[in-house]
Amino acid sequence: MSLYDSRRRRYHDQFDWPLFLSVVLIAVIGVVNLYSATSPYALSGRTGLADVYVNQVYWLVVGGLLAILVSVIDYRNFERLAYVLYVGGVVTLLLVFVLGGEIRGSSRWIKLGSFTFQPSEFMKILVILAVAKNLSEDSKSESRTLVDLLPAGFLCALPVVLVMSQPDFGTSTIYTLSVMAMMATIKIHHKTLAALAVSGVLGGIGLWEYILLPYQKARVTSFLNPEQDKDAGWHALQSKTAIGNGGLTGEGFKEGTQNQFGFLPDQFSDFPFSVFAEDHGFVGAASLLLLYGFVCIWSFNVAASAKDRFGSAVAVGVGAMFFWHTFFNVGMAVGIIPVVGITLPLFSYGGSSVITVLVGFGLLMNISMRR
Amino acid sequence: MRMGILCGLLTLGMGLVVSSAYTLTITDGSRWRELAERQRERRLRLQPKRGTIYDRRGGAFAVSVDVPTVTMDSVELLRGVPRQQIPGVARSAANRIAAALGIDAARVERRIVTRRRFTFLKRRVSKAEVEKVRRLSSSDAGDSRIRGLRVEGEGHRYYPNRELSGSLLGFVGPDGEGKDGLEYSLNDDLKGHVEQLRGLRDRSGRVLLSEGRSGDQALAGNDIYLTIDQGIQFAAERALRNTLRTYEGVGGSVVVVEPVTGEILAMVSLPSYNPNDYRESAVAARRDRAVADRFEPGSTMKIFTVAAGLAGKAIAPTEELYCEKGRMSLDDVVIRDTHPSEWLTISRILAVSSNICAAKIGLSLGGEKLYESLRRFGFGQSPGLPVPSDTTGVLRPRGRPWVQVETASASFGQGISVTNLQMAMATAAIANGGKLMDPIIIKKVVSATGHVLREGVPHVRRQVVSKRIARTVAEMMVSVTEGDGTGVNAAISGFRVAGKTATAQKTDPRTGRYSLDKYVASFVGFVPARNPKVVVSVVVDEPMVDHAGGTVAAPVFRRVAEIALKYYGKTPRNTAPADLAELARSADRANATMKFIRGAESSVQKVVEGGKVGEGQVRIPDMTGWPMREVVRRSHELGVVPTVSGTGLLSKQSPGPGVIVEKGRSLVLVFESPT
Repeated sequence: MSLYDSRRRRYHDQFDWPLFLSVVLIAVIGVVNLYSATSPYALSGRTGLADVYVNQVYWLVVGGLLAILVSVIDYRNFERLAYVLYVGGVVTLLLVFVLGGEIRGSSRWIKLGSFTFQPSEFMKILVILAVAKNLSEDSKSESRTLVDLLPAGFLCALPVVLVMSQPDFGTSTIYTLSVMAMMATIKIHHKTLAALAVSGVLGGIGLWEYILLPYQKARVTSFLNPEQDKDAGWHALQSKTAIGNGGLTGEGFKEGTQNQFGFLPDQFSDFPFSVFAEDHGFVGAASLLLLYGFVCIWSFNVAASAKDRFGSAVAVGVGAMFFWHTFFNVGMAVGIIPVVGITLPLFSYGGSSVITVLVGFGLLMNISMRR
Repeated sequence: MRMGILCGLLTLGMGLVVSSAYTLTITDGSRWRELAERQRERRLRLQPKRGTIYDRRGGAFAVSVDVPTVTMDSVELLRGVPRQQIPGVARSAANRIAAALGIDAARVERRIVTRRRFTFLKRRVSKAEVEKVRRLSSSDAGDSRIRGLRVEGEGHRYYPNRELSGSLLGFVGPDGEGKDGLEYSLNDDLKGHVEQLRGLRDRSGRVLLSEGRSGDQALAGNDIYLTIDQGIQFAAERALRNTLRTYEGVGGSVVVVEPVTGEILAMVSLPSYNPNDYRESAVAARRDRAVADRFEPGSTMKIFTVAAGLAGKAIAPTEELYCEKGRMSLDDVVIRDTHPSEWLTISRILAVSSNICAAKIGLSLGGEKLYESLRRFGFGQSPGLPVPSDTTGVLRPRGRPWVQVETASASFGQGISVTNLQMAMATAAIANGGKLMDPIIIKKVVSATGHVLREGVPHVRRQVVSKRIARTVAEMMVSVTEGDGTGVNAAISGFRVAGKTATAQKTDPRTGRYSLDKYVASFVGFVPARNPKVVVSVVVDEPMVDHAGGTVAAPVFRRVAEIALKYYGKTPRNTAPADLAELARSADRANATMKFIRGAESSVQKVVEGGKVGEGQVRIPDMTGWPMREVVRRSHELGVVPTVSGTGLLSKQSPGPGVIVEKGRSLVLVFESPT
């Protein structure tokens, strides 16, 4: 038996079918849901918007090919290149300030030919890789102190500051929370933990007082008191109305009246979940969340059985990123979290987002197949 | 272990999200669904198209046209504007909107900052204003674009004939409900079914009824064809108006009835008003005097006293009565005649209008029988016309049977009150052989889909007197318009006219006695005396220059009856039937009326002058703004071939208005929806 054959068999044996199938399932449902979400535009003749689901398929194909590429290259190569990739990502983030076009008051996009892409999306993966490398390099087994965590903290804080000043509060939150999840898997000294907690509270206050912009504050206040400011609370209210309108079993595919009648705003970027919930009701929405939950748990499962600490940390990071996206997006759709503009993985329309998520799964698959 | 904690936190997070979704969809589900439903229905402002009122020949009396109206959704306008910028944005938007529409900027600004989802900015805007609003709200305007402005079609009631029949038709308030006249009493038919439209409207205001256009149709109000003939109505209105001017009367009314069917061919009340500008009108002008005004009829009542006397065998047709040389004392009052006489036949009693002999007939019949007879002719009862101000008149003002003097005065029409419509219907009963008909004003009610829902069917209320007696009285009435009768001014050459004049003193409301200078002059009659076609009843209130019914009211009867006869194609013996088209060209009095009709039409269509129309040529009128059906109908009338594109109201026509073209060439018509 040749070496090639044995490797092939190992690939075949280890191919992570549950992960693969659930991701494909989410992607397919996501595209179909996009079709439903934008179908009202077809009636009004705005075909550019009605055809976004077709574009989404293109992005899925591009992302899928990249994912295959990422999954076949041994992830230890990424470990080696992690810092280089990270620096490259930071440079692109800086470029945004120079080249970025402004959409709705914030510059997050870089135009590349006829495409615009959002470096802060891809940066999520690069931050995860860099932090994972940093956390796995030093192999001491006693609990870590604040000093030990400083480099990883810096790796996270740099892009957070850059993205925050775009300004994009949502994405920087995702960086922070994903890295925190990764740190949670290693031992931390209890004093350090306490210090982190205190600085977290202080940081939150500082954030509110000095860093958040008026529109971001407005989102939070409108969330806390939707009656007070009807305009800013309108999006959240419409999303809740659509979901509530769905009832137990929903109004049926492409039948959700709140979306079909154009009451639901941003239905293909911020609120595709609301469209799905209105079409398919609580039953559909809960099943979808179950699927998302399964993917998250599965990625932690991959992390637990990974053959090295880097792989484990990357898997946790990707899983956490996926989870936080889902939690924030659905959370704002059902109205327990302010509207922060975080996408629902594989449901929200957007090339950068779709590619980032799929590359993340490519990494996960890579780790899963080489355990 | 740490993985376990992560998984636990994750499950907790997912659980939180799922349970919130559960609360939204199941626990509070009904509340959200209600909210969603309200949202879809709340901004529904679409009124179904109100039905059209036509005359008996399909000429329009009242039509609903879509007039563009500008509305604003100020929540939409301010969407995405940071709070501290709102005052500035609101001010600049208000200034620009106000400039475009020519309205008060401060008011617009107030409406913007109150954040209503729906406000009317301006109703009945012009094409130029619509264009300006479109420019303000178009996406080409970039950052300066004002969102939330909408141009909607709003049903606006339009009365092409203006003052003609204003008080009969009434008007429609801004809320789309009929407020007076037929618009009020037939509101349920005309209005359409508003509640069924509480359907689905999306955020941008489109109606999303699955039935689409046909759905709109089914909801539109019913069209109503009146029995009124616009031509006769015009003639009556014009004749009465001229008389009021000549004799300085304060008002009056004319009722024209087809005696056999009870169909009302014309019902005019003056002064009238223009229902297009009903706000400008005096309340008194809105009253339909033909049905709402009670008056003491005076001598015209003698017709029915004579009929009652003949029916009750109190007198014989050939009998002669002694008229006391113009003065008769009864109890403590003195009854006088204007033409003192001795012995008179019944015909002569009517011809010279003797009060004394009429009183004698009434007295020999007896108060109770006379009262019963007058009731049978419909006096003191509602004629039952579907108009809001219908009154009954009063036969027994003191609510008890008449004493002798009251019977005597009732015999010649004093001490009782009637309406002009009652007088016309009662006279129609004489004209048609004794049958009191229900007055009909609605010829048919047609649904928007073209189905005839109801038709006015002639209905005999009762046989009042025998056919023979009715014929006899009719013959006697002819003597009024012949020889030295009081109503010779009503005579029409070539026809035998039956009629009766009346000159009644009005009661002074201050003294309760008969006024010395205020009269009601009236004339009622029918023509031809045998097989009558029309009954015309004329009442002129407080004529000043002269007050005799024969002088003031009889000529009105003649003019109206002449036109009516021509419309019916009835000609005097030995003359050719009048051709309507020829009538329009000829130089007689009718010509003026026809011109008047045409003139009223051209106020709508505004013909541009220039050039002479030769043989086989037509001048193209300005039909801009007309509905398609009307345009096509008119084109066929003109003899040009319409080529139609688009839907809605006519926006372009080629050749343009005023251009003279050969008959048979094509007319290119482009229709556009007004919104």
